[in-house]
Amino acid sequence: MNAASAVVLGIVLALAALAVWRNMKKGAPCECGGYRKSCGGGCCCHCNDEG
Amino acid sequence: MANSMKIALAGNPNSGKTTLFNAITGSEQYVGNWPGVTVEKKDGILHGHKEVVIQDLPGIYSLSPYSMEEKVSRNFLVDEKPDAILNIVDGTNIERNLYLSTQLAELGIPMVMAVNMMDVVKKNGDKIDFEKIGRALRCEVVGISALKKEGDVEAAEMAVRLAKKGSVDKGPDKTPDVPHVFSGSVEHAIAHIEESIQGKVPSRSIRWYAIKIFERDREVIKNLGIGVGEMKHIEEHIRDCEKELGDDAESIITNQRYDFIKRLMDKSLALNEKRHSKATLSDRIDKFVTHRFLAIPIFVLSLCVMWWLAVAENGPGTLLTDWANDGFLADGWHLPFTTHEVDGKDYDTAKEDFAKAEATVAAWEAGEKKASIEDEETGEVADEWDIDEAAYKAAKEVEEPDPSKYGVWVPGIGALITGALERAGVGDTVKSLVVDGAWGGVATVLGFVPVIFIVFLFLAFLEDCGYMARVAFIMDRIFRKFGLSGKSFIPILIGKGCGVPAVMATRTIENERARRMTVILATFVPCGAKTVIIAMFAALFFREQWYVAALMDVVGIAIIILGGIALKKTRPFSGEASSFVLELPAYHMPTVSGVWHHTWNRLKGYILKAGLIIFPACVFLWFVMHFDWSLNLLADEEIEKSILHDLGSWIAWFFAPLGFGSWQGAAASVSAEIAKEQATATLGLVAANMDGATTGSHIQALFASVSAFPKLAALSFMLFNLFVPPCMVAIAVTFREMGSKKWGWFAVAFQLFVGYVIALNAYRLGVLFAGGGFGIWTAVAILIDVFCIWMIFRPARKEATANEGAEV
Repeated sequence: MNAASAVVLGIVLALAALAVWRNMKKGAPCECGGYRKSCGGGCCCHCNDEG
Repeated sequence: MANSMKIALAGNPNSGKTTLFNAITGSEQYVGNWPGVTVEKKDGILHGHKEVVIQDLPGIYSLSPYSMEEKVSRNFLVDEKPDAILNIVDGTNIERNLYLSTQLAELGIPMVMAVNMMDVVKKNGDKIDFEKIGRALRCEVVGISALKKEGDVEAAEMAVRLAKKGSVDKGPDKTPDVPHVFSGSVEHAIAHIEESIQGKVPSRSIRWYAIKIFERDREVIKNLGIGVGEMKHIEEHIRDCEKELGDDAESIITNQRYDFIKRLMDKSLALNEKRHSKATLSDRIDKFVTHRFLAIPIFVLSLCVMWWLAVAENGPGTLLTDWANDGFLADGWHLPFTTHEVDGKDYDTAKEDFAKAEATVAAWEAGEKKASIEDEETGEVADEWDIDEAAYKAAKEVEEPDPSKYGVWVPGIGALITGALERAGVGDTVKSLVVDGAWGGVATVLGFVPVIFIVFLFLAFLEDCGYMARVAFIMDRIFRKFGLSGKSFIPILIGKGCGVPAVMATRTIENERARRMTVILATFVPCGAKTVIIAMFAALFFREQWYVAALMDVVGIAIIILGGIALKKTRPFSGEASSFVLELPAYHMPTVSGVWHHTWNRLKGYILKAGLIIFPACVFLWFVMHFDWSLNLLADEEIEKSILHDLGSWIAWFFAPLGFGSWQGAAASVSAEIAKEQATATLGLVAANMDGATTGSHIQALFASVSAFPKLAALSFMLFNLFVPPCMVAIAVTFREMGSKKWGWFAVAFQLFVGYVIALNAYRLGVLFAGGGFGIWTAVAILIDVFCIWMIFRPARKEATANEGAEV
């Protein structure tokens, strides 16, 4: 694997890990805006203030 | 928390609380013009007052808690003691709204009454005397129009001033000067009760507690811990009063409250009689829209218009989707009005000529005497021709057309990513991870944003103009015939956007049995994420049958009705339908900003999900698709040794009767539980090594490889993924709202059964009618159908009562 491939692979994996970490921290995003955890553990799908 | 002041926003359902809340706090909470949109209280900081928290409470008609959201509001007002109440009142229905206002005033909390929809009141020529109402209810009254943002800030500021002042004006006995709306004997009994509970309750709310005890409110009596002896004494006063007035205590309070409001309205409300005596435009429209025979055809027609716009061949949705999939997210596109011909050929013709030349060269070098090209969409042979050496030599000379010579060419995101990776010298494996895995999956989902946009835009328009409230009314009429309540339809309406708030919206249903049943059924109407699945299959398999997309909504509603009928006939769900109070708002032309706000809020979350959920999921799926169990990297032609292949193959048998029993179909269906649109992203990913030039043709080839009836297999896949349990988050909320694991698992099992049976029927009966023969699974499908029909048409249970199971 060349250096360019290693860098790109690192970026993709880091972005994926960041997305998973963010989902775990805030809760997954809802279709209608907001994040699940900003509504106290569940999801009211109305809170767009990002908690 | 640094915030030191709490202001509660309270009022009747659908009076405009959330619109006012958004306006004064800058929040973007979902607003709907039907009751039950807000089922939990929500906080926001008042603009320009960092110390002031505004609490948006669910809409309630009174402080007698019958349903869960009424309990939320009452408990907050009574237990958490806000510093002030901003009571929002619908000015066009002020008489009915004042019932709650009189109760709020009795709490002894400083109150500002914001009379909303004053623009409509003025337009109608009606006049409301705020001063007289304020004097009678001992509160400040101000006129506002939350929708037009008129007077909203002033009302909030007024509430802040009152809260800072500390309390309402004190009477001579140092208790708050709250309105006295009852007759002498009732006031006498209330005064005795107040005396008995002095010191046990906050002095400012003593009158409210006394009235509740007079009404024999079980919760209040229990919470105050009033002793038997004391209660006996209080009961004597209540009974004396009941005897004198010839009615029960609760009815006495209700009737006298209404009498008080009527007297107040006689003095303070001047209606424009001329206007009120003739039918309004809304009334005239409703004659058709809610007509007993025309209502359903009009509703179905509106669904058809929506889906035609979204997915019909050459409709706006399809044109935009094609542009997004083939241009914006893939290779690129020409700016409109900049294209021109080169050597008498436009770009598309030159591309076709190049494809033919490539096919000719490939065929001649393979020793063939004929060359052919396939249709990108269908994968079928589109053209075939004879070739010779002269044709081969001529074809070798044809150069790939440069799109930039044919107009202003804007490269697509896919092309930009591929170009950048190639320029950087990234190896093929990592390039495949980025282009086919991460970006491929995300682009498959994002490619259908135009369809989602059109569906959400259309729904936002219907909601904002007032039509959706009529749909709830129409459905109540139908639901009631089958023993279901129209209250169950509100969560279903909300579920068109997202299943999670739909499940939560069931809290407005006070009957626990009906609530559980609605939780199970609410997610059967395809949500926004499922719309992507519909959009993909409509585009790939049903371009000429756009109505298949609209049919999915109709099937969803039919499942809810039939499933409801069947469940109602079982012991855990039997019982009469609870009553449904719904006000039909006047029709009005929605504002552009309002419709855009609704649409964008839903779309934004969907796009965000593509980045936060679909992207990591696709990266993970790419890895399990390109590595074997010993973690050796596999070439494209070795995919069948991959982890994903094995995992999919182990469960493919479950899907075989449905016509898509391949490891790819299994992997796509299971991954859809992460988020429903993941099914499309996974299909795009796992079908990448199938025949065809585009993702679409790969997927078509995938279904053709597992069934002799690929269209039926595709329909079955779509139905299965639309009607089995929703995504993981919605399932988690279902478990929470059901209150027990037993009921949670029952909901999941029921949904899985329904989704499986519908897909099985669509495929097996479809194959039968298409001449594919009668098999064992056709017999199983028919037997299950007979069982379902028996469940629906068997006699109903008789022992049910109206509020069985309700927590009243």
